[in-house]
Amino acid sequence: MDPMAAIKQTFFQECEEQLVELESGLLRMEDGDDDLETVNAVFRAVHSIKGGAGAFGFDELVEFVHVFETTLDLIRSAKLAATPAVTKTLLRASDVLADLVRAAREDGSADAGAVKVIADELSALLGGAPRHGDDDGKVSVEALDFQPVCISLDSIFDIGEPEAPATQDFIVRFKPSAGLYAKANESLRLLRELGSLGEMSVECDISEIPQLTELDPEGAYLCWTIRLTTTASEAEVREVFEFVEWDCELSVETADVGKLLEALQESLEPHEAPEAPVAVAEPKQTSVAIDPAPASFAAPSDEHPAAAKAESAKGEGSGSVQATIRVDLDRVDRLINLVGELVINQAMLSQRVSEAGLSRASSVVIGLDELEQLTRDIQDSVMAIRAQPVKPVFQRMSRTVREVASMTGKAVRLVMDGETTEVDKTVIERLTDPLTHMIRNAVDHGIEKAEDRIAAGKPEEGSLRLSATHRSGRIVIEVADDGAGINRARVRQIAVSKGLIPAEANLTDDEIDNLIFLPGFSTASSVSNISGRGVGMDVVKRAIQALGGRISISSVPGRGSTFSMSLPLTLAVLDGMVVTVGGQTLVIPLTAIIETLQPKKESVHELGTGSRVIATRNTFTPLIDVGAVLLYRDEPIEPTSQVALLVESESGAKCALLVDAIQGQRQVVIKSLETNYGHVHGIAAATILGDGRVALILDVDAIVARPRADMIVAEMPAAAE
Amino acid sequence: MVTVSLPEILDIRAASPLATELLQARGNPLMIDASSVAKVGAQCIQVLLSAHATWTADGLPLNVVHPSEPLLDALETLGIPFTDISEQESTK
Repeated sequence: MDPMAAIKQTFFQECEEQLVELESGLLRMEDGDDDLETVNAVFRAVHSIKGGAGAFGFDELVEFVHVFETTLDLIRSAKLAATPAVTKTLLRASDVLADLVRAAREDGSADAGAVKVIADELSALLGGAPRHGDDDGKVSVEALDFQPVCISLDSIFDIGEPEAPATQDFIVRFKPSAGLYAKANESLRLLRELGSLGEMSVECDISEIPQLTELDPEGAYLCWTIRLTTTASEAEVREVFEFVEWDCELSVETADVGKLLEALQESLEPHEAPEAPVAVAEPKQTSVAIDPAPASFAAPSDEHPAAAKAESAKGEGSGSVQATIRVDLDRVDRLINLVGELVINQAMLSQRVSEAGLSRASSVVIGLDELEQLTRDIQDSVMAIRAQPVKPVFQRMSRTVREVASMTGKAVRLVMDGETTEVDKTVIERLTDPLTHMIRNAVDHGIEKAEDRIAAGKPEEGSLRLSATHRSGRIVIEVADDGAGINRARVRQIAVSKGLIPAEANLTDDEIDNLIFLPGFSTASSVSNISGRGVGMDVVKRAIQALGGRISISSVPGRGSTFSMSLPLTLAVLDGMVVTVGGQTLVIPLTAIIETLQPKKESVHELGTGSRVIATRNTFTPLIDVGAVLLYRDEPIEPTSQVALLVESESGAKCALLVDAIQGQRQVVIKSLETNYGHVHGIAAATILGDGRVALILDVDAIVARPRADMIVAEMPAAAE
Repeated sequence: MVTVSLPEILDIRAASPLATELLQARGNPLMIDASSVAKVGAQCIQVLLSAHATWTADGLPLNVVHPSEPLLDALETLGIPFTDISEQESTK
């Protein structure tokens, strides 16, 4: 990558971070936070973007940012009150700013109309406040009070031009070691030689010179910064130090680059503790920022890094700076893959050792146990690198809410909760689309119009709650609105009219609610341009399922609906129970298993149609023969010869799965079946076991949901007739 | 007042003896005669810098007098002001 593009990319990455900073600050202001530090943080974010944009000559962006910044400056100096109306305008301005940044990155152009509308609104806020620039309201880049260092970037990077030798400025930093003098070299001679190349000004740092009593007369205490204006090339400058390069610290850089870097540094660097770095959308260009203190992201919340980040987000400016580095995502993924292989390899090794019949107390076995612990720790740490807070996605939703609300003319307030909850980066990336769709749906269909809300005795402004929490090794994301709730009679009617259920089907409320996830179901009688577009909730459901997640809905008429998504924290590993079914080895996710039991003859009851239930703790639970479901055997098997695993699906439905035997409990590395083969119903993924064989990972939800699906499918033809 | 005359050659080998000689004069106002210096290296300059710092810390004057052309030239090349090795400006 050429240096120009690299610096630009850094600028855009920083921009993304500043935009998040900006939006979260504005949202805090909207919530009534009138702390000057919050306003300052918002101002700094905008100011930083302006600095960089100016340096790269993004005039359109600079123009807009300037008006934005001037408005914020008025608020900062208490000349303009941050009323709700003002913060709303500022929030919309931040949306426009994000568009402009994206346009600049993609060499495209933003919607000029939208930019103008907001710019005019901001100008209106400015009122009579003095503005730089010419009369038609346009601000020229030159007129800005912030003057980024004017350097032609192109000329700097066009070093290869065979033009007539132009002079260049070099900054040479030279710190000789004692060894340099001992080898009969002399700083004085080197500097003279350097001076012969052109014009030179020398600064000597004598601060390290000790008192005479502590001085080693043959030591080296001086270092020099030399500014050299010369027609010589960098190589020629370096050549002066050719024979002493091992005996000194030397840096040679073009002064322009130094100046440029300083300018960029100044304009881009946030002046406070950087917050959780942000993931950018395009995977190829992204990098993750690594927290130097890795922590398992499945750890309980009180010692969670997210908690610390939330703290620092609150006390901005006062917290200590958390050092982060940017790392190419590919590298992290490669490391994760390797660790995955390490886990498999370690499992294989354990198996070999146990096959060799060594005693449990032998040092080899003990060593292996330690290795296993270590491998697990490594894996946790590596996974923590990919863990990112869901905040960026959540914040994007606040924009969606604003847009849809203004399009539908509804007043909606988005409340976010737990946005510092961390989850694997891939999960975050693939969460945006389904979440956007759900948010649109909630605003468009869920929340009623203002007059209906008032009639129903609710506040005029609708409320939408977006929350994320960790729950037993998974992340649960909920979208809850306080709208009218699902109109069950209507849902049922539509489902019947579309032939999705038979007219006489006897469904519970819950089952009716879940009908909206069926393919081909769409409640809106006219396709609106917001949540319509021919995409139904079935697409959302499939997207969530593709992530190994589940989605469910609960709704109270008149009180609103809650969509709840449960997703795995990572797509890479899983704790599973290894079982045998029909001679095959299967893995059942441990999170789904409640208990295991040995079915007794008297507790198993037949239900006529070939289905069976098992009585446990005074309730009857459907008994499912996994071997029969997966077609490993045709003949029904005697439950008493089997082991039953009591499992619970995400929707809360319980079921007992019959398996032949339990082999043990193990952490397995998930290998996607979809990527490598194709989707198989009832199977979530595959893994490689210690003996090198492939084992399938059971999709418990699909298996548990099966009786119900059977019923619907079986009855479908009757309905269609 | 103690007076020390700098030798003609102030290369790396001269640094240690110079430091020893100057240390012996510690506690007294010092005048260094630099008129005969013909060749000087960075390490002897370090000794002079350190001596000046030491005398300043002791609150005593240290002056380099009659600096030779080669010494002034070396100081200039090294980017070291004369007043870093002497309390008073150069009195050629």
